Amino acid sequence: MIKTIFFTVLTVVFFYIVWVNNIFAPHEKYEMPPEHRKIAMDYKYAKEGRELFVQNCAACHSVRYDALYLTQVQANPMLASLQEKYGKVLPRDVYESVFMNDLNALKEAFGKVPPDLSTTYLVKGPEYLYNFILEPQKVLPGTTMPAVMTGRPEETAKIVAYLKYVSEPPPQEKAKRNIMGVVTIGYLVVMGVLIWLWRGRILKKMGLH
Amino acid sequence: MIGRWFNERAKLSELWQSQMVDYKVPKTLTFPYAFGIMAILAFLVQIISGIFLVMYYQPNIHTAFDSANYTIMKEVPFMWLIRNVHAAGANFFLAVVYLHIFTGIYYNAYKKPRELTWIVGFFIYFVLLMTALSGYLLPWGQLSYWGMVVTTEIPTSIDSAPIIGKLKIGETISVWMKGGYELGQITLGRFFGLHIWLLPLILLGLVGFHFYLIRAHGITSPDGREIDKKKEGVPFHPYITLKEGAYLMGYFAVFFFFVFFYMKHFLPADNYDPANPFKTPAHIAPEWYLLAFYTMFRSIPDKFLGFVVFNLALILLLILPFLDFSPLRSARNRPLFFVMFVVLVISSMALTILGAMPPTPTNALLGLIFTLGFISFFVSLPIISILEWGWYKAKGGSKND
Amino acid sequence: MEASRRDLLGVAVGSLGVLGAIGVLYPIVKVLSPSQASLAGAKVEVDISQIPDLQVRVVSWKGKPVFVVKLPQGFQWNGKRANDQNTKLLQGQDAYALVAVCTHLGCVPLWKPQGEGEFSYPLFHCPCHGGFYSPWGDVIAGPPPRPLYVPPQKREGNKLVIGEEGFVKELT
Repeated sequence: MIKTIFFTVLTVVFFYIVWVNNIFAPHEKYEMPPEHRKIAMDYKYAKEGRELFVQNCAACHSVRYDALYLTQVQANPMLASLQEKYGKVLPRDVYESVFMNDLNALKEAFGKVPPDLSTTYLVKGPEYLYNFILEPQKVLPGTTMPAVMTGRPEETAKIVAYLKYVSEPPPQEKAKRNIMGVVTIGYLVVMGVLIWLWRGRILKKMGLH
Repeated sequence: MIGRWFNERAKLSELWQSQMVDYKVPKTLTFPYAFGIMAILAFLVQIISGIFLVMYYQPNIHTAFDSANYTIMKEVPFMWLIRNVHAAGANFFLAVVYLHIFTGIYYNAYKKPRELTWIVGFFIYFVLLMTALSGYLLPWGQLSYWGMVVTTEIPTSIDSAPIIGKLKIGETISVWMKGGYELGQITLGRFFGLHIWLLPLILLGLVGFHFYLIRAHGITSPDGREIDKKKEGVPFHPYITLKEGAYLMGYFAVFFFFVFFYMKHFLPADNYDPANPFKTPAHIAPEWYLLAFYTMFRSIPDKFLGFVVFNLALILLLILPFLDFSPLRSARNRPLFFVMFVVLVISSMALTILGAMPPTPTNALLGLIFTLGFISFFVSLPIISILEWGWYKAKGGSKND
Repeated sequence: MEASRRDLLGVAVGSLGVLGAIGVLYPIVKVLSPSQASLAGAKVEVDISQIPDLQVRVVSWKGKPVFVVKLPQGFQWNGKRANDQNTKLLQGQDAYALVAVCTHLGCVPLWKPQGEGEFSYPLFHCPCHGGFYSPWGDVIAGPPPRPLYVPPQKREGNKLVIGEEGFVKELT
């Protein structure tokens, strides 16, 4: 009994540390004022965030998964015919070869091509993005990213909300997935219990239990 | 009626009778005995989810990332679920295989006549690690790319050896693995091929052989004795089948909890950053299932020695049945073995956790200590065996038992 | 009593098992179903005013090439043909769509406004095995067994909408 408990606890603690919350691994923490966090987490600001993005960020950053391209690219008549052929979201190699000049110009100006931000919310998280957009030098000293949103924290939060919207499914879909999860797990638990009970009855009948 | 026609020709009911009803097992099988069937189910889940992923994934360095993170995660209905299943499933597969290995060590399931079962199992573990490594490259994210850079750099540690290092064998191997001086389309293409069919096919063969050997010898008893099947055995069906069926439901309940609600670790944030050969991420480390070997490699100041040590760990694992030649079976009957087993488990867990931590001098020292702990288990086995032979003979046992 | 309790459990396990199997099959079927993007291709709009008279534009509809034919006002055609099936169906239309797949063995015919070979009036010529079709797709000569297929289509001002019921209700 003791041995069982010992090994079970050891295993559960191990997998907790390795899979759920590694208390020993390094974590960077960034601060975000709660009222702005609420805006960033709110799906309905995504539309406004997109407009803000187009005004302030799209000169250098694309969001390809939302068919949001660089301002110079958006103005290029080639874009429409490419999208007719490949769909709204262009394949990356097509995009990068056709608009090579625009991308190279940015590389000259900034040292590297400003990255596409389609998945950046998933990589960095809202707190990092909020802080980085507001004060790039503070978060990443020496970065060539200009401080375009200085003194506009609320709008920055809306841009973060937009980036969140691009990276995640909308709330209705999220709710559907949660229900799917609960139903699946519930089903498995019920099945497990039923099979156990059924087995008990069969074994009793066979005189084996 | 169709069933009867089929059965007369395929003789399935005779197979069922011999393998499921007449096949007798001890009544005393414990919960860990289910890890084997969980591993088979985990394998099946990977194959099925993989079948659908391969329909949409593109093994081209320009489009791989988007095929995984746009087409699969956002465009095609339910593919997000299949990808989550496959990513979480890889981790669960390895977890369950580790638990299965440690169970086998604990109950001495590798002793005569089951040494071959153990050896085949070792190769299953090894090929599985290759499969996991090759699969992790495919999404072509930052961690995928740089993790593979680190992995393909490991052979170069051979070049740190005195004398033979001059031959640059390590670099040759590293370049050969990658198909060039850097990770590119050639590398991705070959790992894709390996991952989707060659390695799984080899795994299927090995698992089939492993399963046949298990059935051929019968399952070991938790207290080490071979049971009198007629008196103490219970029919595999329904005693074990339904028990393991219920356990499997529990396994899948835990599995799907992660799939639906907690993918954070199995789809790590940094891998949502597309691979950039000019930007190394702040923390590169292999996935948890390789961290123990990574820690062993890192803790030893000399690169070549580090390489030797973690290969030694694998070799010791392979020759385990021959290191432990004691007549006694099962940790239940062997207090010394039990103690060393606990040392092994704790060392392995500590090595894994240390691998995710930054390489400070303290951590390096701890890594060294636990590496020694890990190795000490294997080194202690012959010593314990000799001692136990002494006790065994004193109690009147002989070599011919 | 006990026997029926066990049977109930057995029935419960069995029926939940079936439900579980359906639950697993449902996403698998959905994963393989056509995507939103491809279903959108079921309807194609063509601006007729952009096509010069007596010219043919080729568009893609449901994965197949389709001819969009623009006839000039008062167009007369006095070629010979085997039957009038398409001519009757498309009577009075100055623009219409035909599936650009030869009904013989599947090549894409070529629009020849000056005629071809022994015929000197506008026609479609299939170079693979020498099939000839009238501008409405009826067979003039050659191996094709039937006229070109006509997709469902509708006219809205200057737009020809292929894929929706209109002056042609369904694929012929």
